[in-house]
Amino acid sequence: MTDKYVLKKDHLLPLLRKLKKNHRLIAPLQNRHGDTLFTEIDNLDNVRIDLENQPQNSLKQFFFPQQEVLFTYNNPARNSYHFEPVAEESGPALYFGVRSCDLSAILYMDVVFLKDVKDPNYLQKRQNSILVGLNCNTPFANCFCNATRNGPFLDFGFDLQLTDLGDRFLVEFDRSRGQEIISEWRQFFSRADDKDVKAQYQAFLEARGKFSLQVHLDLAARKLADDKVPESVWHELSMRCQDCGGCAYICPTCTCFTIRDQQTSDNEGERIRSWDACTFSGFTRMAGDHNPVDRQLRGIEQRFRHKLQFDVKKDNRPSCVGCGRCVNICFGGTDIVRFINMTCSENI
Amino acid sequence: MIMQSPHKDLYWPKPAEIREVIEENSQIKTFVLAFVDRQYNASFTYQPGQFMMVSVPHCGEAPISVSSTPMNAGAIHLSVRRAGGLTAALHDMKKGDVVGLRGPYGRPFPMASLTDRDLLFVAGGIGLAPLRSVINTCLATGHDRRITILYGSRTPSDIAFKKDLTTWGQTAKVSCLLTVDRSEPGWDGEVGLVTSLFEHCSLDPDETKALVCGPPMMIRAVLAELAHRGFADENIITTMERHMKCGVGICRHCHMDDKLVCKDGPVFTLEELKRLNVFELRG
Repeated sequence: MTDKYVLKKDHLLPLLRKLKKNHRLIAPLQNRHGDTLFTEIDNLDNVRIDLENQPQNSLKQFFFPQQEVLFTYNNPARNSYHFEPVAEESGPALYFGVRSCDLSAILYMDVVFLKDVKDPNYLQKRQNSILVGLNCNTPFANCFCNATRNGPFLDFGFDLQLTDLGDRFLVEFDRSRGQEIISEWRQFFSRADDKDVKAQYQAFLEARGKFSLQVHLDLAARKLADDKVPESVWHELSMRCQDCGGCAYICPTCTCFTIRDQQTSDNEGERIRSWDACTFSGFTRMAGDHNPVDRQLRGIEQRFRHKLQFDVKKDNRPSCVGCGRCVNICFGGTDIVRFINMTCSENI
Repeated sequence: MIMQSPHKDLYWPKPAEIREVIEENSQIKTFVLAFVDRQYNASFTYQPGQFMMVSVPHCGEAPISVSSTPMNAGAIHLSVRRAGGLTAALHDMKKGDVVGLRGPYGRPFPMASLTDRDLLFVAGGIGLAPLRSVINTCLATGHDRRITILYGSRTPSDIAFKKDLTTWGQTAKVSCLLTVDRSEPGWDGEVGLVTSLFEHCSLDPDETKALVCGPPMMIRAVLAELAHRGFADENIITTMERHMKCGVGICRHCHMDDKLVCKDGPVFTLEELKRLNVFELRG
């Protein structure tokens, strides 16, 4: 007897219809342009849930929006300055079809936003979230989660996790909320038998052999730690980086942000938090245009050191989840895989 | 429905009234502030070296180190140099106007380790602000060892914190020496870099803690002078300045290698800084 279950594929849509009654439902949808994006579902009848392609976005925007109002303020007179809360979307949200990389990225964001101090906006969204993972049977062309050790299958961190076994999904739970869903909708699930569990293991072994990239992330991390990345690597990367910030925006673990005031009337405004990127030249610029960091040369260095050196030192694992999105998006050829390859090909 | 989480106030400033504006020089003003919520103001405290995030309407926030001593409860001094948009708007504010404050944040000066030592303070310009908090705290708590204060300004009219400098100059066991980069008519004091004042004081490097704050060029010159005089790195303490947005260790604007100035600093010993790749030390 295992604590794993089976969900027939025919039962998936009826189950989602039931869950949607009490949850906002977010899943990878293919839109009319053919793009697959994590999207909140209005009506399950009119959408195509796409579990074949990698969603172009991660779940970052749902927990840490690209732009969000922290509070509003009003300043009707010089001696009056007040801060007011804003209404937040509330209620449980179920994220369906989350691959190992994107689910691991949320576990990383938990460390950033909840470990030392609790970020209230993130906490609220996270407390309301149910994560239904999807193990990756077929890694995509630029994926390397085997090198970052958070895929293609995940052992923990999800509420429920599905493995595609052809006509059915094997279903595991790691957290009580996942178990509750199975208990509440028991009619959709049957107990998995040894055959199902073996099929899952077979799928795992096959998936592990399907990575087309070989990324020596550990070696690059060690060279960074030992200070053995030659200056020429940073020079070449900084020369080729187009400073577009695309890598940081698309990255599921890039969480640097800026905060600014947006005036909405003579005496009112909003304090807004939005995504930022450590590669931008203004990232460390202080009042009076003084910048203690040579952004031109050091911006991209900070990006890779943070992910592969500082976070490894602090938490014993890199903050890259191997999703490959930056490889897909970078037109300057300065993505993390290029960096790792450049660093490891240097004979040092 | 508005959800109020218990941690809601992480980014929320509290209104604070400007009780007094002290014009230190043409570029620096000290704002004496008190929280509008009197009960909160009465219980509010901080430690020397910590900073506040200051909100000015429509200008966002900036980190400003506290220049007063917590021994003087109920009044928070923020000494601000006019440098950018927010500080210019702040400089236009008057007594009775209200700003927003959150904090205090950051690792303070290690006050306990200063009690049984001679103290050397070396500051340039606005860099005296965080050290003023330490000096006045030491004096208020009856520090009974020697205190030497070396303060450099660009010109005699740029000398800030004149009232404090006068008081310190008249205090037993305190010697307070000033210098200016460029003289003006009527100045009969020292002219030269702050390091030129070292020859006027006798320092026992093994018995002294040195606290240094000022522009990067000054810091580099002073560190070289202290090394030359035999000061060990762990006895040299400075406070760093970086662009900050959150103040609580999340936004990562203030990164300095793997450290964040807002929570690992802003106070660091030279021993700690030497393990990092720090612009102020590199030049």
